Amino acid sequence: MSESMNKQVAISNVIYKASLFLDEHRWDDWLNLCHEDFYYAIKAFSPEINYDMIYMDGNREDMRSITDMLPKHNSDNSPLARHTVVYTVEMDESQDTATAVSSFAVYKTELDGINSHALAGESNIFLVGKYRDKFGFENGEPRFIERVVQLDTRRLDKGSHFPI
Amino acid sequence: MPARNAKQWDKIPGKIESGEYVDSRIYSDRNIFEEEISKIFKKVWTPVCHESELSEPYSFRTMTVAREPVMVVRGADNQIRAFLNVCPHRGNMIENRPSGSFEQGSPSGAPKHMTCMFHAWQFDMKGNCVHISRGSEGYQDRLACSDVGLRRLRCEVKYGGFVWVTLNDAIDQTVEEWAGGAFDCMEKSLNSEPLEVFHYHKAIIPCNYKLWHDTNSEFYHDYLHYHNRITGFNDSYFARKNIGFDNGHVNVGSFEVQYDQYEGFESREELSFPHLPNNHWEMIDFFPGVNFNLRGSALRCDIMTPLGPDKVMIEFRGLGLKSDTPEERLIRQRHHNSIWGPFGRNLHEDLLAVTTQQATMSEFADKRRILHGRHELDADGDPTIHDEEGMRHFYDAWGRWMDRWPGDPELSFEEGQKREAA
Ligand code: FES
Ligand SMILES: [Fe+2]
Repeated sequence: MSESMNKQVAISNVIYKASLFLDEHRWDDWLNLCHEDFYYAIKAFSPEINYDMIYMDGNREDMRSITDMLPKHNSDNSPLARHTVVYTVEMDESQDTATAVSSFAVYKTELDGINSHALAGESNIFLVGKYRDKFGFENGEPRFIERVVQLDTRRLDKGSHFPI
Repeated sequence: MPARNAKQWDKIPGKIESGEYVDSRIYSDRNIFEEEISKIFKKVWTPVCHESELSEPYSFRTMTVAREPVMVVRGADNQIRAFLNVCPHRGNMIENRPSGSFEQGSPSGAPKHMTCMFHAWQFDMKGNCVHISRGSEGYQDRLACSDVGLRRLRCEVKYGGFVWVTLNDAIDQTVEEWAGGAFDCMEKSLNSEPLEVFHYHKAIIPCNYKLWHDTNSEFYHDYLHYHNRITGFNDSYFARKNIGFDNGHVNVGSFEVQYDQYEGFESREELSFPHLPNNHWEMIDFFPGVNFNLRGSALRCDIMTPLGPDKVMIEFRGLGLKSDTPEERLIRQRHHNSIWGPFGRNLHEDLLAVTTQQATMSEFADKRRILHGRHELDADGDPTIHDEEGMRHFYDAWGRWMDRWPGDPELSFEEGQKREAA
């Protein structure tokens, strides 16, 4: 395999790894996949107001403080499961950076959100959208420089405290 | 007291008085809900969108008010008008998109017209019918365009560019009269220059609309929010007052938020709204289901559309100034979303709490009392932020509109008052 192909495979792997770490609330492991200049944003276009919205954004430290604060917040702890498919990985000419587009659906399996006796265990689609990621390499390993979660879903109901 | 048996549980606890609690059935009973739609929501003024959402001539927004499909349109003359979004022919919905423009023609019709796609009747931006397909062939002289204009609705653009609509032609108040002074606290900030919506999302949650309004009205639930537990509790916070206005509206007055107490949240001092002191906060709980929340750099507006006794749609908007630079806009977005966004710190907690609250009050569940009995006064005897006067004020207005006593909805309002006096 060419070096470029190797890197593309490594990038797909790291996207899948990130989905697993996020599913499992392994926030530190997730952030360790991210470059120190990491930028994270959840965005959506609203046809209602005809506007490109940013629902949330922050750097690596901001994301760390959000995940560190989770135990202090009251949250819907229903697990989220990301079904991610990497569509494209494109290396830049220098082979030092890359962009990738993945499609995702986030399923929520109810636990404690409403009336657990009736609803716990029920799975529903919570969000759909695309991950638009940028990567650099550290010691040959791909690191997220940027993740833009581009949501199609705008009926967000209770929302979430978790990074998506 | 130890845990109570059924009889004890049924008794009014402590010295709580009539008027200091409501009956849980007002949150779950289908007949009461239908009555609210007809007696309140079909009768009052409500904001439906913001003028920046239809900024160009021929642009429109669609929505529903009390189950009726409504369309708000900006005419060639720049006037905003509201109509029922219902075709006078066979009742099709004329426009199905949430927003857009009539400038371009639709597949069934001409540019600069609203066209019902079904049989291509066409209307102008003032709601006049201007074309009936094969009209004279089918209706001869029995029905003409002049007979079938759209149903126009009373509409005002007021308080920072919000578009207000009522289904009630006979309403004897303007929006300003209906507001009864509730906007005095933020009117100057809202009207000093044009605003623009930068945030929109919606929630449809299994809860009665009043539970959301209650939560917006009571601040005692600071305990729910880590953010408030850290930033809120100080002298100036408790000095905030609950002020009731005519028609059930409530203000919660200003105080300085100590953002620096909360890790990850920089102070909001860098950017504010015109005429709003830095880091200050004003809130209007507007009867029956709207909330305006002006905090530092961003204005939040919640508009509730009740969908059933235990189902409500809440539309969340965030607004800044139309003149914002991209940098300023980004700051406002961050301030708004970090607390109030769908992935923000507080909104999720609020939405979580009202849905689990409703979960104990399903339809036909045993009735119980929901206490609104906190009286926490300042040195002048005015209700402070943890006083539950806001909810009591709302339910007083609600009871009068419904002619039901909130503490026992089987009683008329007058019967309830008599019982209270006794
Ligand atoms: S229903 Fe609208 S034209 Fe026939
Ligand atoms: Fe709250």
